[in-house]
Amino acid sequence: MKVLESQAALLTNHEVYTFLQNQAREYQEQKRRGPGNLETLRRELLQYLRSEENPLSQEPPTYDDESIAKLLKRLRPYEIQKGEMVMIMNLRPVNIPMLNAVLEDMEERFTAEEQEDIVAGVEEVLGKFPPKAQEEGDVMQTTENGS
Amino acid sequence: MFILTKIADLVQIAPAQFEKHSRVAIEDNINAKYSNRVIQKIGLCICMYDLLWASEGLIGHGTGLVNVNVEFRLIVFRPFKGETILGRISSATPEGINSKSTPAPPTAASFELRPPDYHVVRTDFFEEIFVSYKELPESCEFNHNAQLWTWVVDDDRMYYDKNEPVRLSVIDEVWHDQVPESTAEDAVEQAKKISPYSIQGTMMKEGLGVCIWWDDTEE
Repeated sequence: MKVLESQAALLTNHEVYTFLQNQAREYQEQKRRGPGNLETLRRELLQYLRSEENPLSQEPPTYDDESIAKLLKRLRPYEIQKGEMVMIMNLRPVNIPMLNAVLEDMEERFTAEEQEDIVAGVEEVLGKFPPKAQEEGDVMQTTENGS
Repeated sequence: MFILTKIADLVQIAPAQFEKHSRVAIEDNINAKYSNRVIQKIGLCICMYDLLWASEGLIGHGTGLVNVNVEFRLIVFRPFKGETILGRISSATPEGINSKSTPAPPTAASFELRPPDYHVVRTDFFEEIFVSYKELPESCEFNHNAQLWTWVVDDDRMYYDKNEPVRLSVIDEVWHDQVPESTAEDAVEQAKKISPYSIQGTMMKEGLGVCIWWDDTEE
């Protein structure tokens, strides 16, 4: 084995998710199974990407293949680095504290209005979880349908 | 969180796999070799992304194996330093035990007297993520009965419960080449015990830690 290029590209979670879903579907159509280690990892990874806190779990989906281009266009006025853009795609920060977790030195780099606008832009392009129905104690119940 | 890595390798296709299309046989061989495995300083390999090039197949003497030189790209899990990722708390464990001494009272001053406690965070597919107690917000304390950490803000107690989804930021990575010291069986076993790739994280920033703490701050 020889590594030709250790980091040829960065992928967003959505791209990986789409790739794995397509792979799972193709394998099923061709009635073939991948090696056991792949099948296990794919199942666990899809489970991770679909977990409750992950924006990819939202139904109907709010991400599509154009999301990256749209987001870049919407946030063009701001100097956001590539790595930070990937995090915004992956984590979808829809409030200021969450944005703070993905942008380094946010308070120095952006004014309060700019922060608000970035958050608004993220919500415009990538959507947002519907507000959870009020229920006490019953955390097991999923509330993805909203109400 | 994910990258593409370009790799060149030799794939050997066994006669039993000749009924498969070459492309399928090559992909299966690559995935069998790499999927769910760690390459040192590269990351955790997920699967083949695309096949860039393949040579003619050459049949080896004596074995009947078809040898194909290939170049391909792999999807690899390798969060970069400073990246914020999602995980779940799997356990909170006191390490390096002097645990007969009673835990220090929960004041900021005695904080350093405590044993180095770790939060272990996992994702569904990757389990080696650790957050040191030093990387939790300052007024955190460990509850030895419940084996969990608590963040005390004013008089509110917020719990780092098990299975709770959390956000953490990657600050470091630790690589361990699992090469055994000798060929003895126990040396081989010993070398495998240390994980080949683990991640150190922090939760000491607004927006990090248990996700629901930060969910509804607008209204």
